[in-house]
Amino acid sequence: MADESAFDKKKAHRAKHAGRKAEKKKKKNQVDTSNLSARQRNPKAFAIQSAVRAERQFRRREDVIAKKQHIPQVDKTPLEPPPIVVAVVGPPRVGKTTLINNLIKSFIKTNVTHTNGPITIVTSKKRRITLIECNNDINSMIDIAKCADLVLLLCDASFGFEMEIFEFLNICQVHGMPKIMGVLTHLDMIKNAKTLKMTKKTLKHRFWTEVYPGAKLFYLSGILHGEYLRNEIKNLSRFISVMKFRPLSWRSTHAYVLADRMEDVTNQEIIRKNSKVNRDIILYGYVRGVPLMKDSMVHIAGVGDMKISELSYLPDPCPLPSNEKKRHLMERERQIYAPFSGVGGIVYDKDAVYIELKGSHSHAQEDEETNEKKTLLKNVVETTETIDEQMQESGFKLFSGGAVIYPEMVKDDEYLQKKNEGNVESDNDSTDGYESDSEHDSGIDQSEKEHNDNSKLPWNNSFEENDHENSGNQEHSEDTNDDDNDDSLSDDDESRTQDFSIKWKDKLTEKATEAYIERQKTSKNIMKLVYGDFEIGNKTKYEKEESEEESGNEEIGGLFKKVTASQKKKLKEKEKLDLDECSFFYALDKPLLRDWTNENNKQFLINHFVTGKRSTDEDASELLKLDDASDGDDDEELYGDFEDLETGAKHSGGDKPEHTEKSEAGTKRKADLTKSEILNKKLKLKAKFDAEYDNPDDHRIKGDHSYYESLKAEALKQSELNKAVFENLDNGLRIEVEGFRPGLYVRMFFKNMPSEFVTNFDCSYPILIGALNMAEQNIGFVSCKVKKHRWYKKILKTNDPLIISLGWRRFQTLPIYSKIEDDLKCRYLKYTPEHVTCNMHFFGPITPQNTGFLALQSVNNKTNEIKQMGFRIAATGSVNEINKSTQIVKKLKLVGTPLKIYKKTAFIKDMFTSTLEVAKFEGARIKTVSGIRGQIKKALNKPEGAFRATFEDKILMSDIIFCRTWYKVDVTKFYAPVVNLLLPINSKNAWQGMKTKGQLKRERNIKNEANTDSMYLDVNREPKVFKPLRIPKELQKGLPYRFKPKDKTTTLSGKPNNKFKNRIAVVKSPYEQKVSNVMKMLKTNFDKKKETQKQATAERLKNHKKKLEEEEWRRIKRQKELKKKICRQLSKMGNKKRPQM
Amino acid sequence: MPAVIENDVLAYKGSNFFRQRLLLSTLSGRAVKIEDIRSSHDDPGLREYEVNLIRLLDKVTNGTRVELSETGTSVYFQPGILIGGQVTHSCCTQRGIGYYLEVLLALGPFCKEPLNAILQGVTHSNLDVSVDKVKTAALPILLKFILVDDGLELKVVRRGAPPLGGGEIVFRCPVRRHLRPLQWTKWGLVKRIRGIVYALRVSPTMANRVVESAKGVMLKFLPDVYINTDQCRGPNAGKSPGYGVSLVAETDEKTFYCAEAKNLEVGSGSVSLPEDVGREAAQRLLDEVARGGAVDSSFQWLLALWMALGQKDVSECVVGPLSEYTITFLQHLKEFFGVMFKLEVLRNDSEDDSDDEDTPLTSKVKMTCIGIGYVNISKRTL
Repeated sequence: MADESAFDKKKAHRAKHAGRKAEKKKKKNQVDTSNLSARQRNPKAFAIQSAVRAERQFRRREDVIAKKQHIPQVDKTPLEPPPIVVAVVGPPRVGKTTLINNLIKSFIKTNVTHTNGPITIVTSKKRRITLIECNNDINSMIDIAKCADLVLLLCDASFGFEMEIFEFLNICQVHGMPKIMGVLTHLDMIKNAKTLKMTKKTLKHRFWTEVYPGAKLFYLSGILHGEYLRNEIKNLSRFISVMKFRPLSWRSTHAYVLADRMEDVTNQEIIRKNSKVNRDIILYGYVRGVPLMKDSMVHIAGVGDMKISELSYLPDPCPLPSNEKKRHLMERERQIYAPFSGVGGIVYDKDAVYIELKGSHSHAQEDEETNEKKTLLKNVVETTETIDEQMQESGFKLFSGGAVIYPEMVKDDEYLQKKNEGNVESDNDSTDGYESDSEHDSGIDQSEKEHNDNSKLPWNNSFEENDHENSGNQEHSEDTNDDDNDDSLSDDDESRTQDFSIKWKDKLTEKATEAYIERQKTSKNIMKLVYGDFEIGNKTKYEKEESEEESGNEEIGGLFKKVTASQKKKLKEKEKLDLDECSFFYALDKPLLRDWTNENNKQFLINHFVTGKRSTDEDASELLKLDDASDGDDDEELYGDFEDLETGAKHSGGDKPEHTEKSEAGTKRKADLTKSEILNKKLKLKAKFDAEYDNPDDHRIKGDHSYYESLKAEALKQSELNKAVFENLDNGLRIEVEGFRPGLYVRMFFKNMPSEFVTNFDCSYPILIGALNMAEQNIGFVSCKVKKHRWYKKILKTNDPLIISLGWRRFQTLPIYSKIEDDLKCRYLKYTPEHVTCNMHFFGPITPQNTGFLALQSVNNKTNEIKQMGFRIAATGSVNEINKSTQIVKKLKLVGTPLKIYKKTAFIKDMFTSTLEVAKFEGARIKTVSGIRGQIKKALNKPEGAFRATFEDKILMSDIIFCRTWYKVDVTKFYAPVVNLLLPINSKNAWQGMKTKGQLKRERNIKNEANTDSMYLDVNREPKVFKPLRIPKELQKGLPYRFKPKDKTTTLSGKPNNKFKNRIAVVKSPYEQKVSNVMKMLKTNFDKKKETQKQATAERLKNHKKKLEEEEWRRIKRQKELKKKICRQLSKMGNKKRPQM
Repeated sequence: MPAVIENDVLAYKGSNFFRQRLLLSTLSGRAVKIEDIRSSHDDPGLREYEVNLIRLLDKVTNGTRVELSETGTSVYFQPGILIGGQVTHSCCTQRGIGYYLEVLLALGPFCKEPLNAILQGVTHSNLDVSVDKVKTAALPILLKFILVDDGLELKVVRRGAPPLGGGEIVFRCPVRRHLRPLQWTKWGLVKRIRGIVYALRVSPTMANRVVESAKGVMLKFLPDVYINTDQCRGPNAGKSPGYGVSLVAETDEKTFYCAEAKNLEVGSGSVSLPEDVGREAAQRLLDEVARGGAVDSSFQWLLALWMALGQKDVSECVVGPLSEYTITFLQHLKEFFGVMFKLEVLRNDSEDDSDDEDTPLTSKVKMTCIGIGYVNISKRTL
């Protein structure tokens, strides 16, 4: 055994720990940890220790992500955005103008003498800004908050934040928060370094609580030579030029213009006659927000709703530099445009060019050169019409005696022509048919042929020329039968129709189809077909109208009547005027349908079905083939090695358009391209897969955000489409379709503007022109939720006038506060509640839901009044609902008293005044003060207004009966826009609308008679006297002894009985005693006698009764006997009679 | 007939397009004045069905003001706010329910409360689209704009043929704050054809004969053809006899084309054979398919309306050749809303040149517009 074991025992293998081989092996096993992450080096340390904690961590991470997400919005900023509105806001004497001057200087390196109104400057290659200063009027503050993109909120650090700042921040919050940057000035007034530091800190934190934590606050530490430090201004300007903006909901649905130039174009003569006449004015500015539609209503803040009677765009007065590749702005590209401030060089207008002449000095030296320039310039300036217009006005004569033909006429003709073609039975066709009919009988064929010829003419493609041809055609045909033409055409038509009606009818359907096809062929420019000859771009309505009028009633060349066309059109319209409305394709007449079962037609149609042949790019079999090919190419080595494949993939992008062209290149080539495309796709897919599955950097578990991502992608796609779709459209047409897109500089012509707007014009007030969307120009009842501002000192009273800033508007109205009950009833409130929201109804402009608004009690800027009020914003809220009627109710208790009471029924009076009123309330629930419920049944005749009612119990006469009902409260229809821009210059900030009742009373010193019921007086109460308690005898008997009322008369306790205290004792004389004795005896005798008599009578009566009874019994017996006898007789008789019958 | 605008009131002439004008007026909130309504006719003034339409509009709105002249030849219509909710309306039998239903369909998404309308009258008429057509071809269009179907429903309770009608439908429509912009430039190929044949107070064999002939035509193009018959009895069959068919072609991109045909009315003099009715419907459907486009030609105007009422984004759709009605509607859209469509005629380059004569019939129109940013102002937010 031992031997065996010794044999088994072998030497174990020992791995080498040293030497060349060991070294090699070590090196082989060693992992290169140098470029591994900590996670990969030490995976255990990063493993999930606790599932709960991991879950929590995941949850938290997802929460943070979700908080960051916003609903993706379609980015609507145009390619060339309008200048950014930078508003400088702050209390007076805080350094606003200085800041603007410094900013302008830092941006465009020029000094501006005085700043007034909006100033537009080019700041960088892609950005322009409009600087505007806000004066210390709450009206301006509101308007500025509505249009500013960035607000520089200036604050005097040595003083601290003033009320205006908080007010402004609140206004901003309500109307959509623009970006806000705080700027602290007057820091050099604080001498102590430590106080300075403390002030900065406290102000910063206060600012943060108002705006958001971390909001940017700038410090302008001092003034040197009347300017802020250059470095600080430079920093500020850098911040401004890189600022990013988020779209605000109101401004991304409404277009608006901040006017930077105003012109009065009213005829001076009219003004001279009447200085108060309504003016025609022109306002200029950049369109912002969304595209501005041509004939939309606008609201001019501080003036009211106006209609733009003419809108056109002008070349940009302050354009962005051209797209040359360079880093910085050239000196000449740093432009400034500020008409109100009187800078900006040349100003182009639609009908004039204005030149900034630098003061009167420039006139002093005139040399030859300048003279020449001047004349040239003068020529340009004096040109009142554009070349187009001049062309329009130039006419020519066809015949020496004839009238002059203007191009407008020809155009007009075309238009009519086109319009006619658009009609159901192509007018053009049919008239041609008629005309040729008058000459040859088979006119129809010829005319059709003619048209077919037309369509095959080489210049058919351009629509205009086609028109010319058509009109020429017509002229020609008219020429041939000009004898007839002397009559009006309508007569002609009628007579012809009669003549050829039979034939015409035969071919009606055929012709209609033909006409339709014709229409389709010729109407390449379908927009013209639909919209007629719409005016494009800047060509105004009026010009067109005028020209139409001009050419309307004239003869062309004295030979051809122009009238015919317009008359024809009228006739056509007349025919269509009263047709039955029908939305089918082939309206009322049914043209001959093509027989689709016909083999030729069928061939054409068959490919519209899934069973038909498909186009190559979506044919399944083709695709499959391609797919196979591309799958196979790895094996086939079609492209050789892998690198070649990649290059192929790269090429495919460039080759794409070629592919889409679907040229007649061989299918082989096509297949190749698609193959590479597919390969490309595959590579992308793989990359995506890789990204999803083996992303080694972050091993965390991730949530699914695919929904959000898809939303984002959708919004992005839409915004790209928005930008791309109209990009290479003709500008005029683009404006027609899209509206005046933001970024365009427009000229708005307003008619009938109040003259005060011009005479009291002050350019330090912003002129905000906001477009109104559909239905927003209407007025209705607005219901909104509102909360009194917690800093406002008073509560608000129902029906007190309130100035509301809602949408673009500021207006005064009479609101009614209410509260929504649980049954969704709006219950009237007399005052706003203190710290909760309530409902408010007012009569005002219709505004979309969720629009924020703020309310003020006055916009008057009297300093003492402001001081008294403190914070001026009375309430804030948002719109809930719009309606044309309101349903606000308040409680009403009708009181009545009983007239008469039956058991549970009672007649009630005094509740109503007439039977009619009662009838209205039949069935209503009523209640007494004591809580007995009842119902109104029916009116009574007698006292007018009384009624019968039933109750659940008997009521008392002293009860009062209530009927609880609701009374509808109407909202007063009062709406008055705040027209502060029309006020005289010095009192622009003193608009006074309707006064509150309280104000009026205070002014006129009217005092109310106090209600006596509400007075506090001494209360005199008389003691109540109750009736003694009387217990009925019967009840007394039944009571146990202790409850029985004790008669106190028989007291043995020695107490003298009170009952007999006051009685007098009677003492009789002997005689009287005798008499009374006798009387007593006599009475006893009499009593006894009576007793016996009574007994005797009773006995007698008894006997008598007995006797009577006996007698009665006998009588009855006798009667019975008799009856028996009679009956027997009768039955005998009956028996005898029956057999006979 | 462009409108004359005076004091923000659009003034029109003539009775034609009365429905369009009232509809657009209600949506835009702008007042219209229509004059010279059949002023030179033998019976001047508004017809009964037009007055009936005004009544319906009055029911679904609050605060509408209508002033009729004594002769009825001029109307002033000042719209109120759309309310919606429960509406029961008995339509005039001069026109089909479709005449009124299309209006409700256009107004439906912009009401204060979801519309739940019961309409009674003629369900199938010659002048108007039938309720089947609205159900199959128009509702899918609206669905594209509102995206989520929460209660969009059209139920045909009873059918009624002219002249007496007696049909009833229930239409439900959800409300939206705004409509989505829509891009719909592909309509695909027809993958199936369905249809329904109704026979009211006539022999059931009529229905079968119609089915047979319609199927006969359609089967030449596609094997997937199913046509149901709806043989109504008793009160469900309305008050007048009649039969007809409506065929639907569905494409693989959810476009529905619908064509209809019905028998001639009894009093019209001539008699129609069921076979002819079936063939006519099939031919019309083929015509509709040939015209193509993303929507049926009768509902081009609805598409245009909803595109125009979208948000301030670009919508583009390709439709078949524009019908006369659509062209007028586009003009009206411009007058009421100031929205103008960019219209382009697409050329079918892929078609072979041999079909040159056919191209005009099939030339498609691409409609592009920016929505006016219309929001439902009547809806309540809480």
